[in-house]
Amino acid sequence: MLAAFANPVFDSQRTFRELLQAMARPASPRALPILPPSPAPIAPAAMAILLTLCDATTSVWLQQPQREAVEHLRFHAGLRLVEQPQDADFALITDAASMPPLTSFARGDMRYPDRSASLIVQVAGFRSEGGAHFAGPGIRETESLAIDGLPWDFWQQRAALAVQLPLGIDLYFVAAQHVVALPRTTRLLES
Amino acid sequence: MDTSPNLARAQWMSLLAQADPAELAAAMDGFAPPADTAWLRPAQTGLYMLRGRVGGTGPQFNFGEITVTRCSVQAGGHIGHAWVRGSQARHAELAALADALLQDDAQRDSLRQQVIEPLRRSLDQRRDDASRKAAASKVEFFTVVRGE
Repeated sequence: MLAAFANPVFDSQRTFRELLQAMARPASPRALPILPPSPAPIAPAAMAILLTLCDATTSVWLQQPQREAVEHLRFHAGLRLVEQPQDADFALITDAASMPPLTSFARGDMRYPDRSASLIVQVAGFRSEGGAHFAGPGIRETESLAIDGLPWDFWQQRAALAVQLPLGIDLYFVAAQHVVALPRTTRLLES
Repeated sequence: MDTSPNLARAQWMSLLAQADPAELAAAMDGFAPPADTAWLRPAQTGLYMLRGRVGGTGPQFNFGEITVTRCSVQAGGHIGHAWVRGSQARHAELAALADALLQDDAQRDSLRQQVIEPLRRSLDQRRDDASRKAAASKVEFFTVVRGE
C-alpha cells in the first residue's frame, strides 16, 4: 500500500483552494500544488481531488474498481464505494474513452439540485489552441480549450443535459498535474 | 490462552497501546525499522468520543472525549496499525512498528521475548500496585441490627 498526503490537513486545504478557484474560473487549467502517490489506474491528480473532497459521508463510484485502488481509497479516505453510477456523489472515470453515458449519473432533483454527481475524468491532455469556446458564469468573454481523449459524442451528451438546468452534472478533468473544472452552467459555444 | 492469530494480534496491540511510552521505547531500541519502511499514515492526534452504559446495560450515553494518536506503517511487507491514548506521536509510531514486525514470522519470537513479555510484566505490576493501593483503603461497613 502507498502513503497519501504527507500533511493531510494542510495538503487537502491547499488542494481545496485550487479546486474552488478552478470551479470559479471554468475551462481554464490550474496546476494542483500536491500530487500524492496513487495506485494504478488512478492518476495522482485525481487522487488529490478524491482525498480532498471525499470522506465517509460521500459515496464514490469507480469506473475501474481494482483491488489495490479500492483498498487505498478505503484506508486513506474512508469513503463509501457504490456499485451503481446513479448512487454516487462523486464518480472517478479512469478510462474516458469507455465512460458510461452522462445520463447514468445523478442530476439532482428540482428541490435539491445539489444532490447531483461530480465527475472526475482522467483525460489525455489540454490544449488552448484550436479548442472549443466556452462561455458562462466565471468567464469574462470566452475561454478556448480543447480536451483530448473524450468519447466522440461527449459534448452532445453534455449539451443534452443543459436544458435541464438547474439540474446537471459538474465535471473535473485531470491530466498530469492540471485540473479543469466545467460546472453545469458553462456552455460550449457552437463554432 | 487462545492461539488464533487474530486474537493474538488484538492482545499485543492492546498491550502496546497500554505500555508506558518510555518502557516501549527502551524495549524497541534493538528493533530498527527495516529499510523498506513506509509510513502510510504518519502519527496524527485527534479526539474520540467514548460512549458508555451505566452498569453495562441501559442506553448509551456520551461519556466524554479522549485524545487518541493513531499511526500506520508498512514494514517488511506487513502493515502495522496503532491507536494509543494521549498525544505522544513516538508511542504510536513504535506501537505500529512493533505490530508490523510481530506479524513477521521470522521476528515474532524475539519481539515476544524482548518487547511483549517485559511490557506484560510491567502492566501486571502496575495493575497489582493499583489494586493493592485500593485494597488498603477498603472500608468495611457494618449495620447494627436494632432488636425491635
